[in-house]
Amino acid sequence: MHKEAAIRTPLILGDKTYHDITSDVVGPIEGKASKTWYLLITVAGIIALWGLGCVVYLISTGIGVWGLNKTVGWAWDITNFVWWVGIGHAGTLISAVLLLFRQKWRMAINRSAEAMTIFAVMMAALFPGIHMGRIWVAYWVLPLPNTFGSLWVNFNSPLLWDVFAISTYFTVSLVFWYIGLIPDFATIRDRMTTPISKKIYGLLSFGWSGKAKQWTRFEEVSLVLAGLATPLVFSVHSIVSFDFATSVIPGWHTTIFPPYFVSGAVFSGFAMVLTLLLIMRKVMGFENYITVKHVEYMNIVIIVTGSIVGVAYITELFMSWYSGVEYESYAFINRFSGPYMWSYWTMMTCNVLSPQLFWFKKLRTNLTFTFIISIVVNIGMWFERFVIIVTSIHRDYVPSSWSMFYPTWVDVGIFVGTIGIFFTLFLMFARFFPVLALNELKTILKVSGEKYKKEDH
Amino acid sequence: MANNKQYWAGLEELHETQEFKKASENEFISDPKSVDEFLTDSATSDSSPDRRDFLKFLGFGVTAATIAACETPVIKSIPYTNKPETITPGVPNYYASTYYDGLDYGGVLVKTREGRPIFIKPNKASGQVLNARINASVLSLYDSTRLRGPLQNGTPVSWDELDQELGSKLKAANGSIVLLTGSVISPSTKAVFRKFEKAYGTDKVKFVSYDALSQNAIRKANERTFGKSMIPDYDFSKAKVIVSVAADFMNDWLLHTQNTAQYIKTRRPDGDWMSRHYQFETALSLTGTNADERGAIKPSDEGRVLVALHNEIAKMTGGASVSINTDGLPNELIAKAAKDLYTNRGDSLLVAGCNDTDLQVVTNGINRMLGNYGTTISTDTELFIKGGNDAEMKKLVDDMNAGNVGALLVLGTNPAYTYPDSDAFKSGLEKVATTVSFASWNDETASLCGFVCPDHHYLESWNDFYPKTGNYALAQPTISPLYDTRQAQDSLLKWSGEEEVYSDFMKGVWRNYAGEMGGDEILFEDFWFNALRRGFVNIDVPSGVGIGEFNSDALGAAAGRIAGRKAAGDGFEVVLYTKVGIGEGTQPVNPWLQELPDPITKITWDNYIAMNPADAEQYGFKMHYGQELPASVARLTIGAMSVELPVIAQPGQKRGTVSVALGYGRGGNQEEVGRAAFRTKPYGGHALDDNGNKMPIGANVYPMVALGKDGMVYYAEGANIEDAGRTFEIASTQTQHTLMGRTSVVKETDLNTYKNGDVKEYNPPYVLPVHEGGKVINKPVQDVDLWAEHPVAGVGHRWGMSIDLSTCTGCSACVTACHSENNVPVVGKDEVRRGRDMHWMRIDRYYSSDMNMERGEEEGKGVIGTYREMEVPQYDNPKTIHMPMMCQHCNHAPCETVCPVAATTHSNEGLNQMTYNRCIGTRYCANNCPYKVRRFNWFNYKAYDKFTEVNPSQDEMARMVLNPDVTVRARGVMEKCSLCVQRIQGGKLEAKLKGKPINDGAVQTACAEACPTNAITFGDLNDTKSLVLQGHKDKRAYYALEDVGTKPNISYKVKVRNT
Repeated sequence: MHKEAAIRTPLILGDKTYHDITSDVVGPIEGKASKTWYLLITVAGIIALWGLGCVVYLISTGIGVWGLNKTVGWAWDITNFVWWVGIGHAGTLISAVLLLFRQKWRMAINRSAEAMTIFAVMMAALFPGIHMGRIWVAYWVLPLPNTFGSLWVNFNSPLLWDVFAISTYFTVSLVFWYIGLIPDFATIRDRMTTPISKKIYGLLSFGWSGKAKQWTRFEEVSLVLAGLATPLVFSVHSIVSFDFATSVIPGWHTTIFPPYFVSGAVFSGFAMVLTLLLIMRKVMGFENYITVKHVEYMNIVIIVTGSIVGVAYITELFMSWYSGVEYESYAFINRFSGPYMWSYWTMMTCNVLSPQLFWFKKLRTNLTFTFIISIVVNIGMWFERFVIIVTSIHRDYVPSSWSMFYPTWVDVGIFVGTIGIFFTLFLMFARFFPVLALNELKTILKVSGEKYKKEDH
Repeated sequence: MANNKQYWAGLEELHETQEFKKASENEFISDPKSVDEFLTDSATSDSSPDRRDFLKFLGFGVTAATIAACETPVIKSIPYTNKPETITPGVPNYYASTYYDGLDYGGVLVKTREGRPIFIKPNKASGQVLNARINASVLSLYDSTRLRGPLQNGTPVSWDELDQELGSKLKAANGSIVLLTGSVISPSTKAVFRKFEKAYGTDKVKFVSYDALSQNAIRKANERTFGKSMIPDYDFSKAKVIVSVAADFMNDWLLHTQNTAQYIKTRRPDGDWMSRHYQFETALSLTGTNADERGAIKPSDEGRVLVALHNEIAKMTGGASVSINTDGLPNELIAKAAKDLYTNRGDSLLVAGCNDTDLQVVTNGINRMLGNYGTTISTDTELFIKGGNDAEMKKLVDDMNAGNVGALLVLGTNPAYTYPDSDAFKSGLEKVATTVSFASWNDETASLCGFVCPDHHYLESWNDFYPKTGNYALAQPTISPLYDTRQAQDSLLKWSGEEEVYSDFMKGVWRNYAGEMGGDEILFEDFWFNALRRGFVNIDVPSGVGIGEFNSDALGAAAGRIAGRKAAGDGFEVVLYTKVGIGEGTQPVNPWLQELPDPITKITWDNYIAMNPADAEQYGFKMHYGQELPASVARLTIGAMSVELPVIAQPGQKRGTVSVALGYGRGGNQEEVGRAAFRTKPYGGHALDDNGNKMPIGANVYPMVALGKDGMVYYAEGANIEDAGRTFEIASTQTQHTLMGRTSVVKETDLNTYKNGDVKEYNPPYVLPVHEGGKVINKPVQDVDLWAEHPVAGVGHRWGMSIDLSTCTGCSACVTACHSENNVPVVGKDEVRRGRDMHWMRIDRYYSSDMNMERGEEEGKGVIGTYREMEVPQYDNPKTIHMPMMCQHCNHAPCETVCPVAATTHSNEGLNQMTYNRCIGTRYCANNCPYKVRRFNWFNYKAYDKFTEVNPSQDEMARMVLNPDVTVRARGVMEKCSLCVQRIQGGKLEAKLKGKPINDGAVQTACAEACPTNAITFGDLNDTKSLVLQGHKDKRAYYALEDVGTKPNISYKVKVRNT
């Protein structure tokens, strides 16, 4: 068995037994939902419905209900898309990359992080769909055999690459997440008393019996999927960045984009994981599983990725000057001094300055402060995408076409709506799914549990 | 004999079978089986249907009904049973005709499809070119607000009733019968007038005409200086130096459709010489933007400028000068202009726009001093347009108010709207017993008249014109009248007791004059046919007729009077001008023209007060306007009249002056004056004021035109401007007005550099430093390529275009032509404000800025500060450039690679083509277009409520103007310039049928065809002899944004200024 140094901070605090872990995780599913849960899901549900209403209005009336114009053809739609895809990255990174690197601390957070990934990618996938002028022919982006003759998709188009990247990513994430859930569903099944829930969880657990052979296969599949998912962490956002990087628009046409987007995605993803887990930990009483140490680890990831992003911003600025291309240099001067300078400086403050505060151990172990910064980072990352998309195209080559973008209530409504849908889904997840990977946690209890560490001494 | 043929219903009848006999005895089948019995299998059951059968029928019925419902309903599709000889479905017919409305005159070719006129193009042989207003006139034919029949006291009557009633009233008229018209230049109409006069008594019938935009002073000045009230024909093509004092001669001054054509001949930098054009004016006009040197002056200073010019020239000729105060005039420029005029005496031209006899006398004097009569000013031919007489009109209004007029017939003019003292006219109208209007719309005047006898639209009418000596023109109907209207001349003939219809009458008139017109009376039918086919007849004018002796005393007296004029007092001076899109405003309110961005301000759908930015800054008015940046509203007061309009900071406007366009504020009393006449709400429907009335667009400022002793004065002094304390949304298609130092968008130079300099000086090639063979070399960007070339060079056709920025005047005729040809949707003010205008073709207008990178560096402004200042145009006298911009049909098109579904692709003829029905609307292509020429269908323009009031395709009648060759695009797809691919295909088909290659110029895009100055050349780049290839190879040729590497098929030619 794996042995961990005694001086390492334990990952499971308190006097936990295997049974304690099971009841801590399955308890909330068995019991009645709290009033807080009902309140939260009502609020989230209303916002979600409002967002869906806006989507219906958009599809029935036309893209003109958004604030776009002849110059700015993408704004909040693609900003939201990239933002949500980015958020999704943390889940895959935690469950796949950290699995390969044998980071045990991932076990407390990977389940909810993966759920977050799935929901975030669902929200992200909404936008490329509804931003189309004719969503009813959206299936034309798939290379389907058809009756139109030799009509085929354009494999040169980064938007098509997006279609493949996002759909692959979503599928792999979903499968990976689900495989991890199977043993836990089985545990729940075994504890359920009502026939209906027993049946449902029985179906969900695919007849898992916990045999050693099943566990071996489980481990193998997890490793294989982790191996598959790891390149996806890097490919998806690289491909999303190609939408911009392969264009001719100054401010988009940048070779630095793929690594810059990937680190930005991990950055925002971890921030979102923190936002969710800090609430969940408190509300569901998981203080012993999601410890300050976990938060600190994640904050360290935020410092690293935040700094990469910061370096990328500075590099872009340097290159715009160094390139000597007047359009390129103007695009960046306009970014930080033009009509949208407020969004640029919001981005710089939120993304570059605020995570640097985590260099202080006192701050990165302070949960309230971390919570605030996690939200600040996500605001900053939204603005990063807004800055890239809107401030680049609103003033590009031909000055006669320069314009401004002003969002309408539908733009805002749909964005807020996706947050509502996201939280509705996450609340459903928290209510009916094992939010911690309980069977995995059990594997580290004796290695890294506080009680066992004490006993060893 | 007649009925010896027999027909049988079928073989049964012929053979008289038993069954047939039996059946024929019994016409009605006595025992029809019920449907259910019929359907039920009687072998298994004699009873009515059982449950299973019932379900079968039900299933069948529901399915059948569903399938039937899926079928597209066919509505009113009527095929020709007998094909008319001249109409082949799908093949257009062209008819030569002529447009004339008192302001615009031009020979046109009317394109008709299946009997419907759908497009107006210039009849270039006629010598006139067209402007945006004439191009757009085809839409008014189908205006659903046109009167559908005659009215008596506002209620519909039949023509017979009206003729009877009116005939008796006219006969019994107590007082004079006055026919009030705009300037009539039709010889046959004048002959009709004579008939009318004869019928009702020459002493009783009077004719009065006036022009909304009067040039009466020119006639009066010529009377004073040459003893003849006339307007000579000007020839701009012979003038090496043109000085214009406030004459917008390319937009509204005299025969401007001819002026433009002539002017541009002298503006080609490749010719032997290029004219130099000086413009002294108050507001920045279309003509002013094209001037080489422009001086901003106050309108009250026009006289002083002319006298100063006179003095400068007199100094050189040794003539007498008139002492005058020249303070505050652009004296340097005046001296320069005078020197140029003098140096090129005999080959120069001075024109003045004001309606002021003294000023026009001085203008004549200067032109005579320069010896321009007989060269640039014809002494043989005169213009017959602008025949209005301001004084007679004033007298008529007085007479009407005095009750001396028994009947008033108003033809081709709208005095209740355009007459400055319209209140007096209206009160006078009440005192006239019988009032008749021939207006096609129940407009401001018609709605006050007892009888309205709607005239045909000009595309439904016969007419003839004699605009200038030796130039006869014809108008012919291109469609049978849509409504129960009657040509005014027919009405007059009828009331005069003539049996003849006007078309025959007119032919009769022409028969009489055929000899004079160069025809042969015996072969008149041939002559007539050819005249109709060509649309005009030009005859040689006997030369040397000359004009009278010049009266030098008149010149001295006029100059003296100008010198003695009181200096203008405090307050703003207001210029009342006409806009390129709207003109006098006497046309019905046309959505195409409302949506046409003004060539100067780029504002659509509105009237405004243009003010110098420095003045606006001083007042604290808003300096920028955009989607969410509304303009400040100011109250402009002149005497008792005041209007509230938004203020626009207009570079080039003389400080201390403002200008307001005439022609707005139509339908102030809810008159039906065309669709799109009234303001609309952001989400559809008309905006209503507190009383529930529809609000006109802009304000009518005709009442601000002063009725001086000398006639109408189109400026006012001592105006007061105050902040009205509110804002007003402005819809502008361009909100950034300077080039930001981007030399690869627009290139310009001066004539000297062009003629004597190296090509690198005026058209520097764009080079890229490339690492090759171990060292860095500079390579022309054309030679650097990431992609494989399209295999189009030298194979088949490769369509392209060449646009000369030197000859583009910015007139925007191409924009309306494109609108009309390609069914471009009209989207209304709110959408234009949101930056969603749909124009496939636009004219970018840039002003020069005082700041540039070098200067910023010198002054230590820093790069941010420099760029910010570069956004600000020069306030007082910016250089202006017009750049037509449409899809560049790039050979390496950024839009093509990014479309996920390959909806936009490159054709093997070099076109960047858009497949609407494949487009899914991601807008990626529009984002990636460096030229920003792609237009997205944000809404379903042809059905969505928001556009009901503005979009012609939502109107049952106006929809008929749509070009059947061009798809009306669906919501959610991208569209853009196709280089008129429908015309290319048409041209190819035609050539194929003839079995010959396409001649250069045989296929023309709508914009190239409409361009009055031939600035746009279209053709086949693979045709080695084509003009367009020459254009591409020209030393002035460059590609816009060449450095992006898009390799467009459209090239531009460097703008050359003669400075």
